[in-house]
Amino acid sequence: MSDRKPIIEIIGLTYQYADTERPALKDINLVIYEGEYVALLGLNGAGKTTLELSLNGVVPNMIMGEMEGTVKIDGMDTDIYPTRELAKVIGMVFDNPEFQMSQMHVSEEIAMGLENLGVPTEEMHRIIPEVLQTVGLSGLEERSPFALSGGQMQRLAIASALAMQPRILVMDEPTSNVDPIGKEEIFAVAAKLNKERNMTVIMAEHEVEVMAAYADRIIVLDKGSIILNGSPHEVFGQVEILEKIGLRVPQVTDLAYKLKSQKILDWPLPLPVTIEEAEDFLSKKLPTKG
Amino acid sequence: MPEPIIVCQDLWHIYQGGVIALREANLTINRGEIIGIIGQNGSGKTTLVKHFNGLLKPTRGVVLVKGQNTAPMRIQTLAASVGYVFQNPNHQLFAKTVQEELEFGPRNIGVPEEEVAERREKAIEFFNLQELRLLHPYRISFPLRKLVGMASIYTMRPDVFVLDEPTTGQDNITTHIVYQLIKRLREEGSTIVCVAHDMILLAEVAERMIVLRDSHIIADTTPREVFSNRELMQSTHLTPPQIAQLTLRLKEHHKMDQLFLNVDDTVKDLDSQLHSNSPK
Amino acid sequence: MQAILPISMVPGNSAIHKISPLPKFLWVGAVLVLSFATRNLAILGGITILGLIFVTIAQIWKSYLKVMRIFFPIFLTLIVLQSVAPAFPRPWTPITPLGPFTIYQEGIYSGLSMELRIYCVTTFALVAIMTTHPSDLFTALQRLGMPYVLNFIMTVTLQLIPILQNEFAIVLSAQKSRGLKGTGFSALLPSMVPVFVGAIERVQQLSISLESRAFGSKGIKTSYRNIHNTIWDFMILGVGMLGSCGLLSWIIFDKSLDWSRTLVFAPWLALTLVGVATLGFLIFVFFALRAVLSA
Repeated sequence: MSDRKPIIEIIGLTYQYADTERPALKDINLVIYEGEYVALLGLNGAGKTTLELSLNGVVPNMIMGEMEGTVKIDGMDTDIYPTRELAKVIGMVFDNPEFQMSQMHVSEEIAMGLENLGVPTEEMHRIIPEVLQTVGLSGLEERSPFALSGGQMQRLAIASALAMQPRILVMDEPTSNVDPIGKEEIFAVAAKLNKERNMTVIMAEHEVEVMAAYADRIIVLDKGSIILNGSPHEVFGQVEILEKIGLRVPQVTDLAYKLKSQKILDWPLPLPVTIEEAEDFLSKKLPTKG
Repeated sequence: MPEPIIVCQDLWHIYQGGVIALREANLTINRGEIIGIIGQNGSGKTTLVKHFNGLLKPTRGVVLVKGQNTAPMRIQTLAASVGYVFQNPNHQLFAKTVQEELEFGPRNIGVPEEEVAERREKAIEFFNLQELRLLHPYRISFPLRKLVGMASIYTMRPDVFVLDEPTTGQDNITTHIVYQLIKRLREEGSTIVCVAHDMILLAEVAERMIVLRDSHIIADTTPREVFSNRELMQSTHLTPPQIAQLTLRLKEHHKMDQLFLNVDDTVKDLDSQLHSNSPK
Repeated sequence: MQAILPISMVPGNSAIHKISPLPKFLWVGAVLVLSFATRNLAILGGITILGLIFVTIAQIWKSYLKVMRIFFPIFLTLIVLQSVAPAFPRPWTPITPLGPFTIYQEGIYSGLSMELRIYCVTTFALVAIMTTHPSDLFTALQRLGMPYVLNFIMTVTLQLIPILQNEFAIVLSAQKSRGLKGTGFSALLPSMVPVFVGAIERVQQLSISLESRAFGSKGIKTSYRNIHNTIWDFMILGVGMLGSCGLLSWIIFDKSLDWSRTLVFAPWLALTLVGVATLGFLIFVFFALRAVLSA
């Protein structure tokens, strides 16, 4: 991790939306390194979306409110650099696949961001088939985005962001409105981009079991503040803290925690976060058949 | 004594354009059951449950609700027996206050005014909506809106609740509220049909699971049977809850007689396994 | 355009498909002006035939006829009504009585010329629409200086109309599932609020998604669609404009083209025409009523 450079630096970020009683984000201090896969957890209203929107300048440039502190993306201060510049480094995907679509054809949907950046037409014709292949939608150029399945639409949203060649991909609960097959497709694309292209991935999600398997780091937000920040083992091991704020841990972690705290089995730390880890330990401890 | 409340006999549904969404579905739902219906999008599960309140009528075959053939019945009439809670509460909510929203359903089905008020109060208490009652439905958070959506069907006192993805888009706290609500509804005598992708929810509340694939009902059995059937899970691209997967694996080599559907039961079983062998 | 109307681009490789969008649409504009400048049946007929020649070159007969089918009952009504009550300054020349009505010379003339006007404008419009990719048209307009935002609004609106229609149907079924009876306006109101709110939420989310893709940022904008204006496009445009100007001046200055008083229809022709049109109209009404009542 020490050879990775910081790509996102947030110092003292506090943000309050106009006409609200309390700030959505309180004194956030966070560094994210290039190539990390970071999962953002928290209840609805904890500040995940606000934090993500502050990364590409939508907060504070598009949405009204008061901001203190600094957010730097690859050295660029979001208060100074326009979204056009930030969009070249950071791409964003939101939770409702259909609400991100507006064009008549898949190819045009992807082209939109490129048109806005002034990319030459010939280059667009090269980039679009490439990103379609990366997300597994090759051949669907002429299809209407609205005729795609939820999983496909979301992958199209990822492709539209990828076309602008960002180094950071931010996803706000991308699988919450998608069926199980679609969920798998989206998690697979994110993992592929992270592993094969060193893409920094920031994903807000509720699927803790999946995040435990993929993420390098978990950040937990509660009422606008970061209360936990560490590896999946470190964070999910804090079962009491998470339960108190109403968040779930992977079921195997919960199992190990209960066995340990009820003194049924002295599970060594760190507590497991995947099935394999749990099975590994339990199969040594349980009496075998026959 | 099982009392059939919804019966599907040789049910087929073919959409305009020739798409066969449901083939030869045979199903009996008894009063008081909590049933989970699972399958990928496009498998026919939503098509199936839409027949229960008349949103869809059979192309072939018969659907009986409380003994009556649904084919000539209007949705509005069936609404009194089968309440359908839509997945997106935004598709239902339109009134100025949560209170009014709760009154809409019973008024439509002809419940006298004093009883409407009574039912509204009961719903507010049951769903814990006291602090929200005078708020505009669109000013409350999405998870709470889903609860209001359920409550607004509850006031119609249907025999059967059809819940379309009740925990999708919800956070952990509201998901737990939904578990409790489903169990309490059953205690009141309601029948629940839950269409969901959330396997942890169904493992928690369902007694019976119906699995659909490619417009066929391919399984109708207990959650345990469904989750232990690896081939079934793989062919439908569904994943059992993590704890079920773990205990299924452990069952192969260790003395677990069954897989477990939730953490607490697993804890109890492991406790007995580990301490039945050690001296007390 | 794909989903709302039966009118949309018909893919193809004809000479007409290859012409760039603007010349085509300017031709449509010219035909519109010309057709309303005259009632002369020969001129209107000639323009219509030219249009049908283009339909043949573009190979879009099937789709063309599908759309023209919709207009058919309108045409029949027009003839019937115009024949007995011309939209034309009096005096009227009666040809023959038909029951309590009288068929007028000016009526038939007026009816036929209205029909031909509609035919020729619609034909040219359909040729243009069915051989042009909508995005190409929007891009061409943009190059002429139409603001990008307008283009975008039109594209999005075209996509959203069928989606909102679908949303409305879902909301209506949700309300019926809560016992909503009746179909009057006050009954539909509970269904309209959710659709509006849904549309607003959608647009809010969409605008954030667009902002994240640098929408509305200052600086050069390129376009994905390739529009090359070749020498042929300029020539076609030139021919069209010259031809229209010539024809227009002829129409304006040659008074003898006004046949409205000079063309006389024989009574048998008039009666047959009106008779057939009335019969056709009544058959159409019969089928329409049957369809409505059985729904």
